[in-house]
Amino acid sequence: MLTEIEELQDVARHIRRDLITMIHLSGDGHPAPSLSAADIITALYFKIMQVDPLNPQWEDRDRLILSKGHACPALYAALALKGYFSRDLYPSLRHINSKLQGHPDVKKTPGIDSTAGSLGNGISMGLGMALAGTLMGKGYFTYVITGDGELNEGVIWEAIIAAKHHKAGRLIVFVDNNEYQSGGKVVNVSGIMPILPKIESFGWHCQEIDGHNMAEILKATKAAQAVIDSPSVIVAHTIKGKGVPFMEGNNAWHKGAPNKEQYQEAMIALGGVE
Amino acid sequence: MITKQESTRLAFRDSLIELAAEDSRIVLVCPDSALVIQAAVFKEKYPDRFFEVGIAEQNAVCVAAGLASCGLIPFLATYAGFITMRACEQVRTFVAYPGLNVKFIGANGGMASGEREGVTHQFFEDIGILRTISGITVVVPADASQVKAAVKAVAVTEGPCYIRIGSGRDPVVENDGGVPFELGKVRILKNEGNDVVIFVMGFVTNRALEAADLLNKEGIKATVVDVHTLNPLDVEAIVSLLKKNHAAVTVEDHNIIGGLGSAIAEVSSEEIPTPLVRIGLQGLYPESGHPEPLLDKYNIGVVDIVNAAKKAISKKSNRSS
Repeated sequence: MLTEIEELQDVARHIRRDLITMIHLSGDGHPAPSLSAADIITALYFKIMQVDPLNPQWEDRDRLILSKGHACPALYAALALKGYFSRDLYPSLRHINSKLQGHPDVKKTPGIDSTAGSLGNGISMGLGMALAGTLMGKGYFTYVITGDGELNEGVIWEAIIAAKHHKAGRLIVFVDNNEYQSGGKVVNVSGIMPILPKIESFGWHCQEIDGHNMAEILKATKAAQAVIDSPSVIVAHTIKGKGVPFMEGNNAWHKGAPNKEQYQEAMIALGGVE
Repeated sequence: MITKQESTRLAFRDSLIELAAEDSRIVLVCPDSALVIQAAVFKEKYPDRFFEVGIAEQNAVCVAAGLASCGLIPFLATYAGFITMRACEQVRTFVAYPGLNVKFIGANGGMASGEREGVTHQFFEDIGILRTISGITVVVPADASQVKAAVKAVAVTEGPCYIRIGSGRDPVVENDGGVPFELGKVRILKNEGNDVVIFVMGFVTNRALEAADLLNKEGIKATVVDVHTLNPLDVEAIVSLLKKNHAAVTVEDHNIIGGLGSAIAEVSSEEIPTPLVRIGLQGLYPESGHPEPLLDKYNIGVVDIVNAAKKAISKKSNRSS
């Protein structure tokens, strides 16, 4: 019998296979940044978050904002597996008349809590949701996933200051620290590293984990939830393209669709076509 | 001429406090702008419903969006340009596109409202910017009493809204005929006749009325129309007025590109091409100064409106001859 962690790892593999399938079938998307966030998204939707696929607007639900919205194929795969919509939609990703937009779109896709993808805005939006929850006496948590390159955006730091000021304890931010941004390695492009001490200096509760280690993701989230008087950040060290060897650490796969051969190779690496 | 003044900023604040008593969903977001609208009274009354987010307008807009997405009705008040320019993308993508119920209140709307602060705090592009963003109700009230009515109207209008307010030393339109405010409908303030229609928005309304009086003395009969709602525009009424007058002037404390002048020109050219002269800022950046001489210096004077009316009428005559 599988342990809980093994079950979640299985789900994460499924999500990785699905997101690669989705991008392959549609012919467009951001595979490598989706793969790096896949374990965090899996942990959130299949263990941590209280949501109801039959009632996506349930007002007491936990919220997730995928601020690095280009990783939405991973989110769509998780939502499909949760039952928000059918996997039959996969080939329509980024195509006309589709529910699956190129970036998360609250108006088009069931289960999406916020439009996102113009980088930098997710923490502010999440802060608003967290403050609303406190005001209305709700117990929900608001989770945000940002990229590491995304932290270049000034509004991120506006939100970091304000969230601490408001003691937004129910706001939990994951940084998908895959060390790449669109233009190359983060260290070469933007000088945002090291991330943790910067956010720590703003007074947030900070943790650093292996973003592909399911047990660490769960443990860190639990610890973050227990902090009631401060927002929390979990800097998750990840590998861009994780799980598909020819995509790992290869920024050419920031955006692009695998061809048939590449798709088959990816599926074998991820445990086979479903 | 000494004009009576009433603060549009306090008109907003007081209306908000009234509304907040009736609707617990109403909250206030301030990016260190509490002093601008003297929000201390609101904060004292509703400490849990007041969100100070620091001098950070992009963050403020997204925080308001997040609050609205959970069912609250956030009002976000600060200087007009910091909402519409610094946080323009947040307004467009995170409020207007999802259609979230955020109400923006833009102070220092217009050159005159920014007065002594200079160009950094004078905002005469706000309406043009917002008119290009789909889904936002845009209101430029004529004075404090109209602000009160506008705030009450947008509070019960689902979706994103913007109301322009001024400096706090804002002229009262005493001669408006008591025409009530109705969101999305023009107000006909004066109807001397149909030689020319003067469309006006905002705190320069007295100037348009004064110009109409001067024209009347010269035997030129003008109709003065307050176009306070720029989106949605009262196209039907505007077309009807253009049809009756066959000559038009627009008056605004805003760039003539994008604001009221553009709005009327769009309706006119599509529905009933009409000679039109636009009064407003024309490719110039203004400067610090008392609002009344500033308006005169930058060609939004009463005499400019009078001359514009004559010019529009002459174009009508030339065309018909």
